[in-house]
Amino acid sequence: METFKFFNWVKEYGWRHFVALIFVTFAIYPILFVVTNSVADFANLTNSKLIPEGFTLKHFKLLSSDPLVPYFKWLYNTYKVALIAAIFNVFLGTLAAYAFSRLQFKGRRASLLTLVIVQMFPSFLAFVAIYLLFFQISDIAPFMGLGTHFGLILVYLGGSIGFNSWLIKGFMDTISPSLDEAAKVDGATEYQIFRRIIAPLSRPILVVIFVITFIGIYSDFILAAIFLKDKNLWTVAVGINTVFIDDFNADWGVIAASSVIAATPIAVLFIFFQKQITGGLTAGSVKG
Amino acid sequence: MIYLSMALSKISRYVLLAIFNALIVYTIPLALTFESWFFLSLTLVIGILVNVVYFTDRFQPMKWILPGMIFMISFVVFPAIYNTFVSFTNWSTGHILTKAQAISVLEDRVFTPDDQKGLEFEMYILQDQDLKFYYVANLDSDNILFGRAVSDDEIFSTSYATHEPSLFINGEFSIPDGFYQLSGKEQIANSTTLQELSLVIDQNTRAQLYKISVFGASTGRLTSTSQLYTYDELNDVLINNATNSVCPVIKDNFECDGNEIEPGWRVYVGGENYRKLFSSQRIRGPLNIVTKWTFQFALLSVIFSFAVGLLLSVILNKDGLKFQRIYRSVFILPYAIPAFVSALVWKGLLNPDYGVINSWLGPLYEILDVEPVKWLKTKESARSAVLLVNTWLGFPYMFLITTGALQSIPKELIEAAKVDGATGLQSFWRITFPLLMVSISPLLIGSFAFNFNNFTLIFLLSGGGPPIVGSEVSVGWTDILISFTYKLAISGGRGNLFGLASSVTIIIFALVLIISAISFRYTKRLERIYGNI
Repeated sequence: METFKFFNWVKEYGWRHFVALIFVTFAIYPILFVVTNSVADFANLTNSKLIPEGFTLKHFKLLSSDPLVPYFKWLYNTYKVALIAAIFNVFLGTLAAYAFSRLQFKGRRASLLTLVIVQMFPSFLAFVAIYLLFFQISDIAPFMGLGTHFGLILVYLGGSIGFNSWLIKGFMDTISPSLDEAAKVDGATEYQIFRRIIAPLSRPILVVIFVITFIGIYSDFILAAIFLKDKNLWTVAVGINTVFIDDFNADWGVIAASSVIAATPIAVLFIFFQKQITGGLTAGSVKG
Repeated sequence: MIYLSMALSKISRYVLLAIFNALIVYTIPLALTFESWFFLSLTLVIGILVNVVYFTDRFQPMKWILPGMIFMISFVVFPAIYNTFVSFTNWSTGHILTKAQAISVLEDRVFTPDDQKGLEFEMYILQDQDLKFYYVANLDSDNILFGRAVSDDEIFSTSYATHEPSLFINGEFSIPDGFYQLSGKEQIANSTTLQELSLVIDQNTRAQLYKISVFGASTGRLTSTSQLYTYDELNDVLINNATNSVCPVIKDNFECDGNEIEPGWRVYVGGENYRKLFSSQRIRGPLNIVTKWTFQFALLSVIFSFAVGLLLSVILNKDGLKFQRIYRSVFILPYAIPAFVSALVWKGLLNPDYGVINSWLGPLYEILDVEPVKWLKTKESARSAVLLVNTWLGFPYMFLITTGALQSIPKELIEAAKVDGATGLQSFWRITFPLLMVSISPLLIGSFAFNFNNFTLIFLLSGGGPPIVGSEVSVGWTDILISFTYKLAISGGRGNLFGLASSVTIIIFALVLIISAISFRYTKRLERIYGNI
């Protein structure tokens, strides 16, 4: 009877746990490996193990002190660029979304359709043209040319604004029009309706759009790589993938430490907003 | 009160517009000087739009849309158009400048006429902390000239040498503070560099090192410089003043006595880049390989990660299964980590000599008696590795969306099938799976489109390598179209082939357009969107 019960359990549940555990290992192994290795005392990749023997923070210390690897400068640059670009992105996207959702005008349908079509082509596809365009801007206005964060932020701004206004507009459409009609009767201007009613009520989607945009820019490699030539201006993505290419064996501890610092905040942010992000992603496609 | 605030908002609007217009006006002459026609037209279009929209009250909705639209036009739409233009030019290393810019560079070149070498004098060679060279030329007591020694490229930007009598005390040379004097031997060691340098005395006169002496001061000579090339605008030829030869324009360079003169300039070349892509055997071959692999990579990535994601969501979709929440949160993890980090970490794990994957597989290699796999170093291993890592990156997304879709399928349908005598597998393949595909397929196409241009993974994991031998351009076995473009334009190590790279981008544009068209057709998404508006 007991064996039958166990056999039944295996048939119903046991094999599920077995398969799930295989993929748990597959999913988590590289992550655990790099986390433990970032605080492990061994020196290189050759003798790296999943469970390290000694504990040390020397890799993190090395990252903060090596003048050839200004890691925290890169981190600062990344947060700066991603924050500024994401904030303006959401702001401009919200303005446009308001017009698309609430105002009636000729060419509204056409412009919305244009937005959808333009967004099919990721902006980095034309990176050669972006590079040459900013190469020329460098002559005319060096402060926003190649090699500047300003220029890079401008490119990021253009990149996802269409997609964002589209998503925000969709959310605003679900806000009952009776609210703003009532306000209009009370003599509110267009701007007041936006500022006092629609924008506050849209806050949930704005937060999500902000997070998606921030993560997207934080993770960008190609545009940052063509834009930034000065080591001190690099973002983390460019920095760690440019510096650690020659000697993986000797640098392994530092590579692990820098990976942990770069990935943790984004992973936490992502897991926190996971439901909303996947919801948003199914509507368009930024990642995956 | 209301009037005051309205007046204030009007004033601030005009102030902002004034600043904006000042910027536009500042840009126009600069754009004209640098002949950036595209940039000029962009500036003008934006300037006119902004003024029309914000000065009049006729385009209310545009006031909301325009700020975002400007960025989208400038950095998404405009580059796409500009890209098309570049694909019809020869824009590449050696042909970066406009013709006027190239001529002005050439006219700055100088040469030393043979008959003008004369006067010799004592010369001292110094170096500062930045290892820059300085010369002291002791012509006579009224002309002790000191200054930086520069190469020909810097002659017109450097300042003239100055008279510094304080460098000689009682006829003896004394080294100024912060400088180091090169000995004769050090001068010989550096002689190739030093020969190229000169001390600029005035517009036409320079002092150069003539003879190095191991003991005592070396000898310098005065030379006069003349402009090497003069441009004859009337006949559109360059005249070489040293040889008196006439250099005509051959397509995009001046050519003197059969030699191309660098730099050339960029010109419109029609469909030449496209012709090269499709007919030059040593480019067409690699392009074929890359295009085929791009499709394979995107398709297999979707299939593998979808298979894993679906398997897991089906397995976990069971009432009463313990640890569900833990499993779910672990399966999301690979997706939560930025791809640029994952690629770096996997590159370490896959390292053939030191990586953990090969040490894991070590026993297996011994049993099978085979050589360890050189991960990322051979065509097959690199392609498998790229797919493996992309499955790792992609299955969580598939897991999430299939879980959502599975849960939205009514349980009654499955129950009814069971009642009719269907086995679990039968009801899955006949009912669950087709229903699932209805809601999932647009997302799968989206994922295909994403991986079609998954530059980050390819470039950071394998770098596109290993290289395809015998290709005219730098390209590898795991390169997809977008990373191939990147190598052509930026990092291939064979110069910047912007024109050719742009023509590959146009191919990508066309393919993305086709994929999107299929996706729209297949899912009728366009109608849905249209209905939504």
